[in-house]
Amino acid sequence: MSPLIEIVNVSKAFTIRHNRSNSLKSSFIGIFHKRFRETKETLWALKNISFNMTPGETLGLIGRNGSGKSTLLRIIAGIYQPTQGQVRFPNGTRVGAMIELGVGFNPELTGRENVFLGASIHGLDRREVEEIYPGVVEFSELDSFMDVPIKNYSSGMHARLGFALAISLNPGVLLVDEIFAVGDEAFQRKCIQRMEELRAKGKTIIFVSHAAETIKNFCERACLLDHGSPVFLGAPSKAIEEYHRLLAS
Amino acid sequence: MKIPLIFSYRELIKNLVLKDLKLKYRDSTLGFLWSLANPLLLILVYSFVFTRMLRVDTPNFPYFLLVGILPWNFFAQSLMMSTGSIVDNGGLIRKVWLPVEVFPIATVFFNLAQYLLALAVLLPMASFFFHMPLSWSVLGFFVVLALHVIFTLGLSFFIAAVTVFYRDVKHFTEIFLMLLFWLTPIIYDVRVLPESLRTTVYLNPLSFFITSYQDIFYRQILPGPFHLLALFSMSGLSLALGYIVFSSCKVRFAEEV
Repeated sequence: MSPLIEIVNVSKAFTIRHNRSNSLKSSFIGIFHKRFRETKETLWALKNISFNMTPGETLGLIGRNGSGKSTLLRIIAGIYQPTQGQVRFPNGTRVGAMIELGVGFNPELTGRENVFLGASIHGLDRREVEEIYPGVVEFSELDSFMDVPIKNYSSGMHARLGFALAISLNPGVLLVDEIFAVGDEAFQRKCIQRMEELRAKGKTIIFVSHAAETIKNFCERACLLDHGSPVFLGAPSKAIEEYHRLLAS
Repeated sequence: MKIPLIFSYRELIKNLVLKDLKLKYRDSTLGFLWSLANPLLLILVYSFVFTRMLRVDTPNFPYFLLVGILPWNFFAQSLMMSTGSIVDNGGLIRKVWLPVEVFPIATVFFNLAQYLLALAVLLPMASFFFHMPLSWSVLGFFVVLALHVIFTLGLSFFIAAVTVFYRDVKHFTEIFLMLLFWLTPIIYDVRVLPESLRTTVYLNPLSFFITSYQDIFYRQILPGPFHLLALFSMSGLSLALGYIVFSSCKVRFAEEV
């Protein structure tokens, strides 16, 4: 099968600025005083990542904090530009990144208004939002709260609405970043169940998690990142083993 | 410019504008009337100072003022708000991929909506009160407005992008707008100025827009061909330059905000 996502030698450098000047004054003073001068340091958050994904595959990304998982996810989503290398998709693939739940939600707006705003942030038009709306309400179980400003929601309700929306956006490729750590256990089970359904339907999913069990149960392959480099790519159970060895060392 | 892409996000632009309008007026009893209070009070105070104290003899001065001050407010508030268009939406830009152009566009449209609402309410009232009937020259309004929006959009793109790298731009814009206000013929008629000063006033691009509005509503004539040519070239130039700067910076927004 021809690959859906081709990640070719992707590297990402961030410039860390000490004494970072965000104002003209500090830039100006920096000309005369060394102490105030901006110094730059390059940090390679990702080094030479390459892999392909076939349609319908689920891939887990694991690694310690700061290993580059979220950066990689953002590059695949197109939020960051890779410093080197390329991410290739067939034309017209819609990539949905669930980096955080309820992105763009405004506390003053009602649940309904937030669903419409949140969905349009992901590029849906009016007709598409109206199509998914009933499903969002049903999954979130917030039918009687849709006309309430979400500042009055509990954090669980907030998360439910965010997840319900995210799961209904129906992108071609789904990028999921550690978002199951929300809600109570029943809701978490419901989320995992919904993800299982999506996978069964043949959705391509990249999944970031620290939870070894979830990765093992859910993913067909896993990629272990350490300091931005791909250390291991293959069977999830093996990847978890490597990950634990890395944590112990 | 990737116009089809931005166009496909028109629902988002609409929702962003509606959100700002809703948030501005929700929970306030007088709601939209507050938007009228600001220009009305300004007109009242300036009219008193300039006609009673300084004895300016522009006929129907409050009407003259109204015609100039509403588009000025649209322009100035768009520019002030666009300093935050990218910076204040950093949370979103770092988490979702979307064409970042939508934010300055939404800022300008939000202020445009306020301008048009205020104009729709105040202009007919003032026109009746001061016996200044609207003539067929009103047709020219839509052309001038469209060019004014394009001109403002270009500057908003520029300001939104530059503020990401230099937060000072916000303060600079504030002071610059104050200076520009007095260099724009809003509370004085450009025709009463001596020749040398008139040239100075027309160094300010915005003067062409404001005097065009005054031609249409106050003098009830269409702006001259030279004037229109100036509007066309300035708005084209503004959008082109503003967008070039914006799009050359935009890949770095997610990392910088």
